[in-house]
Amino acid sequence: MTTTFWPSATDAIKHAQRTAVAPLTWNPIDHLLSRFAFGPTAGARAYLREHGVSAWYRLQVAYATTYRGYSAHKTVAAQGPLLTKSPYDVRQWLKDHGNEYGWDAMDQLTEVTLGLQAFSPAQLYETLVDFFSNHLNVPNHNGDVWNTRHAYDRDVIRRHAAGSFTDMLLASARHPAMLIYLNLADSTKTAVNENYGRELLELHTVGLHYSEADVKNAAKLLTGRTIDDNMHYLFDDYIHGTGAVKILGFTHPNSRAEDGEAAGDALLRYLAKHPYTAQNLARKMCVRFVSDRPSSTLVNAVAKAYLTSGTQILPMVVQILRSTEFWESRGRKVRRPAENVIATLRVLGVGVKSWPDALQTLHWITDSMGNCPLDWPAPNGYPDVATAWRSAGTLLNTWEKHLGFAGGWWDDFADVSIDALYGGAPANSGDAILRLTKRLTGTTWSTAHRQVLQTFLNEPASTPMSKSVLRWWDVPLAAVILDSPHHALR
Amino acid sequence: MTTFDLAVQQAAERVQCELRAQDDAWGRSGWTRRRFLAGLGMVGVASLGAQLVTTRAAYAADATGTERTLLVIFLRGAADGLHLLVPNNAALGLDYLKSVRADLVPGDADLQALTGGWALNARLKPLYDQLWATGELAFVPALSTQNVSRSHFQAQQYLERGGSDTASSGWLDRVLEKLGPGTTFRAVAQGDRAPMSLAGTAPSLALSSIEDFQFPGWDEIQTASEVAVRQLYRGLAGPLGEDVPNTIAALDTAATIRAGQTNVDYPGGDFGRALKDLAGILKAEVGLQVATVDVGGWDTHTDEVNQLNGQLDDAAAALTTFFDDLGTERRKRVTVAVMTEFGRRVEMNDSGGTDHGHGSVMWLLGGGLTGSGVFGHWEQLTGAALDDGDVPGWNNPFDVLGELVQKRLGAGSLYGVFPGYTPKTVQGGPIATTT
Repeated sequence: MTTTFWPSATDAIKHAQRTAVAPLTWNPIDHLLSRFAFGPTAGARAYLREHGVSAWYRLQVAYATTYRGYSAHKTVAAQGPLLTKSPYDVRQWLKDHGNEYGWDAMDQLTEVTLGLQAFSPAQLYETLVDFFSNHLNVPNHNGDVWNTRHAYDRDVIRRHAAGSFTDMLLASARHPAMLIYLNLADSTKTAVNENYGRELLELHTVGLHYSEADVKNAAKLLTGRTIDDNMHYLFDDYIHGTGAVKILGFTHPNSRAEDGEAAGDALLRYLAKHPYTAQNLARKMCVRFVSDRPSSTLVNAVAKAYLTSGTQILPMVVQILRSTEFWESRGRKVRRPAENVIATLRVLGVGVKSWPDALQTLHWITDSMGNCPLDWPAPNGYPDVATAWRSAGTLLNTWEKHLGFAGGWWDDFADVSIDALYGGAPANSGDAILRLTKRLTGTTWSTAHRQVLQTFLNEPASTPMSKSVLRWWDVPLAAVILDSPHHALR
Repeated sequence: MTTFDLAVQQAAERVQCELRAQDDAWGRSGWTRRRFLAGLGMVGVASLGAQLVTTRAAYAADATGTERTLLVIFLRGAADGLHLLVPNNAALGLDYLKSVRADLVPGDADLQALTGGWALNARLKPLYDQLWATGELAFVPALSTQNVSRSHFQAQQYLERGGSDTASSGWLDRVLEKLGPGTTFRAVAQGDRAPMSLAGTAPSLALSSIEDFQFPGWDEIQTASEVAVRQLYRGLAGPLGEDVPNTIAALDTAATIRAGQTNVDYPGGDFGRALKDLAGILKAEVGLQVATVDVGGWDTHTDEVNQLNGQLDDAAAALTTFFDDLGTERRKRVTVAVMTEFGRRVEMNDSGGTDHGHGSVMWLLGGGLTGSGVFGHWEQLTGAALDDGDVPGWNNPFDVLGELVQKRLGAGSLYGVFPGYTPKTVQGGPIATTT
């Protein structure tokens, strides 16, 4: 497969081979909505059919810049009243409610995140927020960040997810949540804690291209970044270690403690612009949005877009959309468990009856799959390749949730009407299968696979709807369709 | 289709899943199902019923109730070996230790003396009381290799790949291939996903709960859905094409395991829950050869003593309950290796914790050891003896793991298991017995 690049996404679609990983088939609309959105919905498909990819992208960029934070879906945003507060105010609020160290803000963050992934119109933004939350991971539901993690999401990740990575990195390097999690808040000139310095180089920027001396120097240069009694950021020059440093190609005399913060920022700016950082970010973006093994041509092109735009994030997305490799990659990713569940909700068009309960349900469901958003317990973020997610237990768990959502098991969600998903009255049992498979997976199933479902219903394709077992077996049929590889792959 | 027809079809699908799993497992190591069945005088099976019988035969032939099991527990985050297993006299380096990490060296009241000046953190004394006298508890300190860096992620991946940064499979996967045929429950990863050590071509099952290991649905819907899902994945390339048939093949056995589970209460949170499931699988005698458990929370950059106290209490409680639950006879066939990616810096940092280091400690528990003790090369700790401030890698972790799989699992030649490395006996060894 040769990767070529075209002036626009529309041109790239025209020049791409009309291919997909079997049993999925070519479907650029569902493909786009399974990569730069958390799965297709009827509404998003209709918009793309009518207006095309370029208009969709422009709309998504407008959402991402207009509705930074949580406001793209007002009802979901209203489920997180603590998310707008400062760390100090969250603590006061918790104290006033009898639980000074409560996890309420962290719970609200998880639940609002899940709600926005499932229901926000700003889908491109949510996929970028998810990507950078993992890239600069600070695990939520970790006692040390109980009153700062939500502010990190708001002021670091969401603020810059459609902006500049340099700005995001600078913000992360002075955010209490990151400073606490990777122990920079405890690091002083007399005893340097290397935790942040190492992960800054290895995970956040250049990757495994550093020496132990680089770690020690970076850790020393960043001492002084700490927090005050109210858990707000503070640069304390008294604990900043001075003395010349060399980190990769960056050198600084670092002679005055009071200039230590600016010296650290200079290092962060240097690292953000480093070609290794561009490679690291570009590869991860391509693994997230294209395939587990993207071509080096694509990775290099995305890295170049990042560097020539001065470390902007959206040009990387544009470069991916301009490549034929992206449009030829439908089915090359396996949905992670939480993605599978969210995509299930979206494609079934599940509505919500009680927002607080529904979002809590999504919270425990994704938690039970080891894939609760923002909760990966190590600094490197959730793994993003299929081989890292192999699990018999999670397969069974996911299949159970397909049955649960299709069957309306949870009172907090509205019941799904399978009849409405046929998109008209099916002529007979076989037609019902044809319509429902296409609607739920965006693929017209092969005769052999439709026959599997016909056997599942144990009736001939010609059976009229009035006599079909679909009167009772419509929900199980929808569940089996969602269990199929057609939905498991994206 | 009648309910009976459905049940037959479901059984047939599960059988085919098992056959597929066995083909996968045997094909690459020179075995084929055809050859195996031929060996049993069972060629030419055509009918469904006969296939069912032959598969059950092949299946039962493997789960003999005499399998030995290696359980590898990985402490994620780099456990501080010097705080668990203390070189507690001058000859081993206690004076130097006290000079650079005084607050992290337990006093004698918080230690259990072992042998040769070594002492165990008293938080692990329940393990000593249960296992030491019977020769079922050993430690190897100063474990690492020169290619293990001080990055959590590189070090974990390197160790789990068996000494490579690039191998596409894990070392336990390659051991399974050498072992030849096995049951669908031969390799179990406790948790939400299989670790790198099991990545590769030999089928393994990752599960977080035997209780929930059931196909969803009820009555005919459950049976028919299972059949349909299996058929929809037939011929699919990639991990799901292997995992779906393996999952379905394991459903019957999981039901058997559930039915036989005792109601022992396990402490220790997720760690305890994982060991409880494994005890159930072991007691059901379904041919478990290799199991993995991940335990997080060992990255003690700050307030190390408090953090580790909780972790060690949980570990001691969960493991002693596990060995009690297995009973003295069955645990002779179960060897547990507890490892971590690297040790921590010898010198304490300013946060009451330790930064990333090098040489780590492995704990060995249960059956098949030559005796209780502390194995491996050790030199008195001094500033000059250290490797850039860390305990050096005086001993190689692959020597220990290699000996275990060779002697306990009968893996034969270890060629290819640890790429480019031939395991040897650690100093003071052998550690494991073949009997």
